[in-house]
Amino acid sequence: MNKNVDTARAKRFYTVGIILLAVVVAAFLISLFWTPYDPYATDAASKLLPPSSAHPFGTDNFGRDVLSRVMCAAKFTVFISVSGVAIALFLGTLTGLPAGYFGGFADRSIMLVNNSIMCFPGILLALVAVAVFGASMYNVVWALGLVFAPTFARVYRAGTIEVKEYDYITHARVMGVNPVRIMLLHILPNLVPQLLPATVIGLANMTLFESGMSYLGLGVQPPDASFGKMLAESQAYIRVAPWLVIFPSMMLVFYILGLYFISEGMRVSLTKGGGS
Amino acid sequence: MARHIHVLKVHHLTLSFPKRKDPNPRPVLDDVDFGIRDGEILGLIGNSGSGKTMTSLAIAGLLPEGAAITGGSIKFRGQDLLTMKPRDRRKMLGSEIGMIFQEPSTALDPLMKIGKNLDEVLVAHGVTDPNERREKILSTMKTVGFDDPAAIYGRYPHQLSGGQRQRVLIAGAALLAPKLLICDEPTSSLDTVTTVQILDLLKSLCRKLQMTILFISHDLSAVRNFCDRVMVMKDGKIIDKDTTSDILTNPKNAYTAELLTNAKLDTRMLGIERAHVDYSSSPVLTAKGIEAGYSDKIFGKGSDNKVLKGVDLEIYPHEILGLIGSSGCGKTTLIRSLLGLLPHTGTASVVGRRIGAVFQDPVSCLNPAHTVKWHLNEALRVAERKLSREERMSRISAALSEAGLNDEFLGRKPHQLSGGQRQRVAIAMCLITNPGIIIADEPFSSLDASSSAEILKLLTDINRERGTSFLLVTHNIHIIRQIAPRVVVMDDGKICESGLTTEVLSSPKASATVRLLDAETKLHGA
Repeated sequence: MNKNVDTARAKRFYTVGIILLAVVVAAFLISLFWTPYDPYATDAASKLLPPSSAHPFGTDNFGRDVLSRVMCAAKFTVFISVSGVAIALFLGTLTGLPAGYFGGFADRSIMLVNNSIMCFPGILLALVAVAVFGASMYNVVWALGLVFAPTFARVYRAGTIEVKEYDYITHARVMGVNPVRIMLLHILPNLVPQLLPATVIGLANMTLFESGMSYLGLGVQPPDASFGKMLAESQAYIRVAPWLVIFPSMMLVFYILGLYFISEGMRVSLTKGGGS
Repeated sequence: MARHIHVLKVHHLTLSFPKRKDPNPRPVLDDVDFGIRDGEILGLIGNSGSGKTMTSLAIAGLLPEGAAITGGSIKFRGQDLLTMKPRDRRKMLGSEIGMIFQEPSTALDPLMKIGKNLDEVLVAHGVTDPNERREKILSTMKTVGFDDPAAIYGRYPHQLSGGQRQRVLIAGAALLAPKLLICDEPTSSLDTVTTVQILDLLKSLCRKLQMTILFISHDLSAVRNFCDRVMVMKDGKIIDKDTTSDILTNPKNAYTAELLTNAKLDTRMLGIERAHVDYSSSPVLTAKGIEAGYSDKIFGKGSDNKVLKGVDLEIYPHEILGLIGSSGCGKTTLIRSLLGLLPHTGTASVVGRRIGAVFQDPVSCLNPAHTVKWHLNEALRVAERKLSREERMSRISAALSEAGLNDEFLGRKPHQLSGGQRQRVAIAMCLITNPGIIIADEPFSSLDASSSAEILKLLTDINRERGTSFLLVTHNIHIIRQIAPRVVVMDDGKICESGLTTEVLSSPKASATVRLLDAETKLHGA
């Protein structure tokens, strides 16, 4: 009886999550080819216009179309979170798999570095990195990738330690398959159920970090838009032009909530809850 | 309450797993009808998938999700269990109906001490006084054969052997003195010596506590001296039901007779003869003075636990060498050392070709993420790198067909295979690398009788046709007796006896061999 309830729950999570995420991803995909107006074009004549049929999301203090800017921001946000997570996954594979597989000294030294990184608040570390190397989108991407890598490394390591004890890995070792191949082809595919939810959550968290950094002016640089950046720019006008705040934050919430719902659905459907 | 002749009566029980697409699937239990008489030990025998575990779960009310009872009733001392409220039924579980499972290693909470594990049972059934609970636990542990219950009380499950853990579980069931005890393959993960002890214990408990036992097993001959009556199940139906002696000596049903033959693994019937080995030739595997162990030494302090204390071993071409010994004697450590998986001292050298390995557990021997074809390809890749695509495919097909499977299996993943089929794939993976020797660690113990017989036949065929040597580790002396010309007995990390199988088994010299043989005789008859 549990299983049916669980599948139904997972389905609901997926449906809601995918709908929310689809809004942002659609905005991102369309922005690659077309936006209603040029997101960078200022127009002093149409400053701070409320939402209308010409400007569905209104305009900002430079007279730029908010809808176009939101679409453009979706592009940067999605790009940063996806490439940041890709870097984190890559670094996680590079460190977590050998740490779990070899154990002992290798494990301890790798995890010492990883845990040292985790000792510091992630956002602080990313801010320091960006402050030192200069605020640009690419610096944000690799800084966030680096900060998130230990989290993934731990998922890899824990999974590897579990999987390597199975007979099929022992068998591969007996046959003389080399360790790199064992790790990548024999162990890694079995870690997917643990990695997928971690990746999705990672995307959501990275978006939060990026928004925070952009809000502080250390992320995406003007005139490019990002949800955090747009919130920072609009806070002075919150009383006269609330649409400047509402639409970017709505998109941000959709993206992050969508990812969380999907990861929750994965957690319910991929992990075996009660008995089978 | 009136005394019922049948403590439990299962009446035309039908059970299936209906799905939305298929509301009327083939029933898992089909019109199962039997009674358990008060005070008897009833055996329920069948191959895997025959529905014997489902029967026990239905009685205990622990059916998995999705199972639906479509007909019949289960009456326990006159009360219909199926119409009872879940709450009342739960109360009954443990106090009236107890259960022991197959795997003693996973049935105890590893983070709780033994005492606490058992304590939970009493707490759940409302014994509030801690001293009373402790008293009761200690006395029950004494009943199940622990000489020093107070010491075991404070240990963690991982500090006990499999047999001890099974005793703890039996103690847990006996604490509440249930009327009916359901034992689901309680001995199949134990060695012969321990099995005999556990069966003796259950039998004595049955008398002492006036319990009735439903004993589920896949091994027909193991119930020989234990059960009063035996039922045989096949495809969800009970096809044979009789007193134990009648079933064993004079089976009326053809399937029962087949099971009986398989259970004996009578190799003469399978057309297997013992291999002829030339002992003057040079051995394929020579091991000298192998020592291995787990040391908790830090900077030269602490204890040093040697599991292997200097083992010498030689395996000759075409030979099947049997390795027997009770659990914990170091068999597994020895083969792990031979395979180079454990750090050890001493030398192990293989002449010529490589070593193959077949492990005990068919569930974890294949990688769940990949297909059969990938497994074989991977094994082949290691052995020979320079092969064209066609050569690879033909080698893979050849190995698969030699292991008794056809090309249909290439695209399947492990979860789509049965235990026997998985074991065949594992063997095919060995064969494809063309090994000079295959080390087989209990390859039969997790398989039911028919699959074991087939795998045994396969292994001996490989031995004949390819001349591959085998190191066969098993606790089934019967198999060793029939197919292994030479046998090695291990005890406490050393080889205590070795020689021709006929001589060792007919006139054993070491006490460990005597113990093993005694247990074997008790369990399977002479």
